[in-house]
Parts: sequence; structure tokens; C-alpha cells
Amino acid sequence: MNDVQNSGGSAEPVVESGRFGRIFAIRLKPNEDLVEGVEAAAAELGVDHAVVRSAVGSLVDAALGYGQGDSRAVTMIEGPGVEILTLAGELRPGRDGAPRANLRGTVSDSDAKVYGGLFLRGANPICITLELVLQEWIPE
Amino acid sequence: MRTLKHPGEPEGPRRIGREAAGAGEFRIVLPEGADLLSDATRILVERGIENAAIQLTGGSFSSMQYLTGQPDDSGERVATYGAPTSLEGPVQVVGGNAILGRDSEGAPLLHCHAVVVDSDGQLHGGHLPGKVCIAGPEGLVLRVTVLSGGGFRVAYDAETNYSIFQPSEA
Repeated sequence: MNDVQNSGGSAEPVVESGRFGRIFAIRLKPNEDLVEGVEAAAAELGVDHAVVRSAVGSLVDAALGYGQGDSRAVTMIEGPGVEILTLAGELRPGRDGAPRANLRGTVSDSDAKVYGGLFLRGANPICITLELVLQEWIPE
Repeated sequence: MRTLKHPGEPEGPRRIGREAAGAGEFRIVLPEGADLLSDATRILVERGIENAAIQLTGGSFSSMQYLTGQPDDSGERVATYGAPTSLEGPVQVVGGNAILGRDSEGAPLLHCHAVVVDSDGQLHGGHLPGKVCIAGPEGLVLRVTVLSGGGFRVAYDAETNYSIFQPSEA
């Protein structure tokens, strides 16, 4: 679904020590993809490890993944005006070194129904705006 | 991926980022009867905090309202808010994200979206309006990450025809 290397998956616990670094106020404008836009913004700011501290915004439509392997599936929520209610996740370098985002959260549709899952790459266009605070994570 | 044509022309850049300094962390518990938006804002402003990233991590509401988005048929904007939905408590917090910044006049403004579960187990969520989201007996728990030297300030956005938060200097 999203990058496997972002999600652990090892048989052993993975414990990473570190500290928080720089913090950024970010806006994504309409029609930017949520996942790719957050990654591009981080790359432009020179950040490859980061944590979402807070985010408020809306999507044209939403595509939220769930399940795994053969059971993976997608909940499609039609907008416009899908509200992003919560956004959590992190960015870590992908195989090419560029930041890759793994973002999960909840949204509501125009009937006030709530959905949750993994925000899929290339399928969650920003409607009006995304206001995002990202904080750099510095592994030690 | 469906994209929408907005009333105004797209303006670049499509992503805006501004570096700020992390200026500490707070845990705040609003007491029963407090109004989430106005009381959280007041408590932070009293401590000299103008910009913050906030997570709603616990507690409940005795009563609250929320708004959800819908298409705007007027053509003035691509989406707007519908009428508020009112809930009576106990309404438990599932999660919420908020950003404290300043409005176009420089006054503090807290923008909050949240997910809650009502007394029938039904999930709800949306944009929380001011003065009507009241803490229940457990209070409301907020985790606050403070920004200094940068944050968000409301400015008119001709593309979307909304006045919204834009990354700004302090």
C-alpha cells in the first residue's frame, strides 16, 4: 500500500533514538496530492525524517486504504468538501533518499459520515487547503 | 485523481513552507464547562503563545457542534460548510488536530477539526465552531507544540475565494 520500508515489518523490535529538530508551517494548495505534496514540501525544506504534529484541511475526494496483501482494499469517499479530521504519520527516506510519507487518519463526507485508513499516494487531492505542522526527527 | 477548477486562477508556488523554532511543549486539561476554542486560545495567548500545533488527545464534551463540507452550488467557491450538527453529551473525543495562528487583523485564531463518538457509539466529526464545544466532566486534554518565529496567519486567497491560514513570519 504505502512503502513497506516505512512500516517496519521486521521480526525484531526496531528502536530508534533521536530528537526533534526544526519545525515547519506548511500549506498545500488545491489539487496537490496529499501524500506527494507533503513529500515534495519536505524535500524542498531539506527534511528527510519528520513527524506530523498537526494538520487541518480538506480533500476533493479521499482514497483510504485498508487490509494487506491479497485483502488490501480502498474506501473511496466522494467530495468535494471531504474534511480531514485527523492526520498522523511520518516521513522517512525512501530507497532513493527522498522523503516518503506514511500518512493515516480520518475524514468526513458531506453526509457527516466518518471514515479512516491510510491515505493512498496520488489519490487524495487537496480541495481548499492543507495546513500542516511538520517537525524534523533527527535519528541518533 | 480528480482535480477541481477554482474561481480564481492557480497561483504558484503550490506548496509553501516556512521554518519556525520549536518553543516548547504543553499538556493542557480544560475543566468541565470550558469552551474548547475560546478557552484553549485564551490560555495559550496568556502565555505569549501565538502559533502552535495542537492534538486533542482525550476527554469529552457535554455538548458540541460540528460542520462538514459540501459542494458550493453558488459557483463562488468549490466547497463550503453545511449547517452545523449538534450533539449532546457525553460525547467522547476520538482525536482532533488544531492549529493556532492569527487572523488577518492579528487576533488569535484556532482552527480545529475533530472526531468524536456519541453516547450511542456513533462516530461524528468535522470542523468545530467557536463557543459551542463545551468540555464535559472529564475535561478536554490537549497536547500543544509551540512555534516561534513563524506560523500561520489568515490572508485572502484569490484562487479559492477564501480567507485562510497561510504560512507566515511571526
